[in-house]
Formats: sequence, C-alpha cells, structure tokens
Amino acid sequence: MPHYGIAIDTTKCIGCHSCRVACQNQQGLEYDQSFNWIKEREQGRFPSFGKEFVPVQCNHCADAPCQRVCPTGAIYTSPEGIVLVHRERCVGCKYCIEACPYKVRVVNHHEGIVVKCWLCNDLVAKGGEPACVTTCPTQVRIFGDLDDPNSRISQFIAKHRAQPLRPDLDTRPRIFYKRS
Amino acid sequence: MPESAWGWLIISYLFLAGAGAGAFVSAVACDLLAPDWSKTLARAGSLAAGPLVAVGTVCLVLDLEAGLWQPWRQIYLVSNLSSMITWGVIILSLFIPVAFLYAAALNELTVVGRYARKYLRHLEVVGGFLAVATAGYTGVLIAVVNGVPFWNTPAMPVLFMASAMSTGLAVAMIGAAIIDISTIRTMSSFALGHVIFLSVEGLVLMLLIFLSLTRSVEAAASATMLISGALSPYFWALVVVVGIAVPYILSIVEYYEYGKMPKSLVVGADLCVLIGGMSLRALIVFSGVAPHIV
Repeated sequence: MPHYGIAIDTTKCIGCHSCRVACQNQQGLEYDQSFNWIKEREQGRFPSFGKEFVPVQCNHCADAPCQRVCPTGAIYTSPEGIVLVHRERCVGCKYCIEACPYKVRVVNHHEGIVVKCWLCNDLVAKGGEPACVTTCPTQVRIFGDLDDPNSRISQFIAKHRAQPLRPDLDTRPRIFYKRS
Repeated sequence: MPESAWGWLIISYLFLAGAGAGAFVSAVACDLLAPDWSKTLARAGSLAAGPLVAVGTVCLVLDLEAGLWQPWRQIYLVSNLSSMITWGVIILSLFIPVAFLYAAALNELTVVGRYARKYLRHLEVVGGFLAVATAGYTGVLIAVVNGVPFWNTPAMPVLFMASAMSTGLAVAMIGAAIIDISTIRTMSSFALGHVIFLSVEGLVLMLLIFLSLTRSVEAAASATMLISGALSPYFWALVVVVGIAVPYILSIVEYYEYGKMPKSLVVGADLCVLIGGMSLRALIVFSGVAPHIV
C-alpha cells in the first residue's frame, strides 16, 4: 500500500496562485473558499533580501490533531495515509479547526460541515495526481509514494533533506518542504 | 487563512456552563455546611444551576451547522473518547437532569421533587462530582487544543475552575437577593468564598500570562495582545479591575462589615464577578494565536 505525500520546492514558487485556482475548480469551491494558500515571508535586510512564497495545504499528518479531537469520528485516515472527512458524520462543531496547527480547515456553509484538501483522492485513485501538482507552471510540487525509496518524491526529500513545516509540533506531516 | 472558528456562542457556553456548575457547587456547599441559615442561597443556587447549563448547551448546539440542521447527526457526538467534546456531551447529559432534579428536591417542587427529597444527599454527591467535571471540562476543552499554543497549558482548566466557582457563587448570591432581600446579611459570610476564588483566579491568571510570555512565540503573542496589545483595554478594565479587583475589595469589606454594607454594593460585587467571568472567556478565546508555520 503506497503512502502518498507531496514535496514542495519553495525556491521555485512564483506566487501565481494557479494551484489555488486549479484546486477551487477541481473541488467546485466558491471564489472565497480554498483548500490551499500561498503564505509569504519576507527575509533578509537591504540590499540582501527576498520574499519567499510558501504554498500551504492540509499536511495529512500521520498523527493528526484534527482526527484526535473530532467528537463524531468524522475524520479518519485512509490506508494511503490521506486524512479524510466523513461528510455524513460531521456536525460542524469546528473543534478540528481550532486543533489544526496549520489552520487549513474551512467551513462549507452550504453543507454545514468542515472540509479541507483531500489530496484529490478521486484523481489519485484513477492513477492521476492532485490538481495543484499538475497545474503548477514551475512544477513546485512533487506527488508520490513516500514509502517507495525509488520514487521521485522520496529521492527529492532525501537529496534536499526536505522537512515538514514545524516538525517540532510532532504531528508527522506528509507534506515536505525544500526551503533554500 | 481562517484563524479562529469559535465566537460568542461558544464563549457564552463556556461562561454559562461554568456559572451553572459553580452555582450547583455553591448550593451543595450551603446546604451541607450551613443548612440552617443559608437556605435561601442554597435554593437560589440550585434553581439557577440546571437552567444556566441547559441554556449554555443550547448555545453549543446553535453553534453547530450540519448537526443543527440534521439533529440526528448528534448521535455521533459520543463516538470518539479521545475528544473532549465527546466527554463534554456525556458529562452534560448526566449533569443537566441531575441539576434539575436537585433543584426540585431541595425546593420540594412537584411530586418528583418530594420523592427525590429522600435522596437529597445522593444527588448532592453525584451532582457535585458532575458539576466539578462540567466546570473543569470547559477548561480542558480548550487546554488540549495544540492548534492554539496559548490555550495549551494545564493552567487553563484551573483558571476556568476558579472562575466557574466565583461566577457560580455570584449567581447564587444574586438569586438569593432576588428571592429574599433580607438574607443579604447572612450572605456576608459567603463573601469569603469570593475572596478565596478570586485570589486563586487572579493568581492563576498572573501565572498564565507570565509563563505564556516565555513559553513560545505564539503564546507570548497572545499574552502580549492581552496585557499591552489590541485587547488590553478590555483585559485590564473588564477582567482585572471589574472582574477581580473591585469584587475582591468589596467582598473583603463585606465580610468584615458583616451585614452593614449597602445592598446595592453586595449585589454589585456579584454582577462585577459575572462581567469579569464572561470577559475572561471572551478574551481567552479571541486572543488565541495559531502557530507560526512558515
């Protein structure tokens, strides 16, 4: 059984937000709703300074705080390591939004439930890749099997020593970042 | 990106559940420690406890979305024992009926009350345990949230417990003044309760702020927001002065001036405690800062 993840190379990101728009299209989200964001960080001092764009989405934590606090058991992890929401069980208490350190969960007010990135599970099941990965003009994201040492993603993580965001939070995310 | 998902409904719930649980504990304490001369206080506390927690629970349910439109989904709320909300649902479902039954028994209301009167001590023990669980759980609910570092500390349940006890006592005292204003004299003895609970609350609040300032960047940001940032006017005015300092001083005077203090000041001190308790919860919820992730 593969364990999917994404590696993100922030040095390639130009902050064009294509990933966000592709995701909104794919998931049929409203213009003001999103499952991924581009956070910006300014660093350095004049004359040596720059801006880093950091794409952020659900980290599909192996030890997901949202799953632990969900009172209805609506949040579960698929065998492929994708953290999913059981739409018929969620009551919309929003405890998971508070518990998520990455703050990537949003309320869908039409259905009254909390939703988030599900790694385009429908596309992945057919052998495809998530929309944010395929749409990126500078190929910032690499999708693949983290358990296969020969996969492109595993090679990339090993070569660049890519790290999750805030590994000290101990949620064991499956999204890895090459920051410099 | 979304920051905090909880607003006034959850804040009202945290306040009402705490005040209701505290009122129950006050009633039990009065009935056990001084049944002969604090009957009005016990009656007021017991009558307020059930309705307060019930209204708080209604706020909690109103904050749901799919669970409000399709109420049958709420049956799932007890599925995950590692979630504090599951524990909360269990505790509230037990405490609310016990609180109403206790009010009926202590005040001998209806046939049920007259029958339950025989089991008053049992109701006091079981209800007291559930009331402490209710008050403590509201603090644990937010203390286990590692998505907000400022809340994620064992000081939080202690703070909520102290605040629940002082707001509960305030509710019982205001209720006693409404039922029978002449009991205001005997209430002076219970002002000592305010002195104790407010001391604990103030001390724990101070510890929480000091420790948060050095614990992590995000906890420090929250604490700074309270003591010198955007929320500081509300924090100093409503929580520290109105919620703790004023009722603390009034309660000390009340205790030593036994029965001589003007009635408006006695009730005023209790109203201050309630304003402080609500403000404390609102400010803690609104000052939550998410971890800096990039």
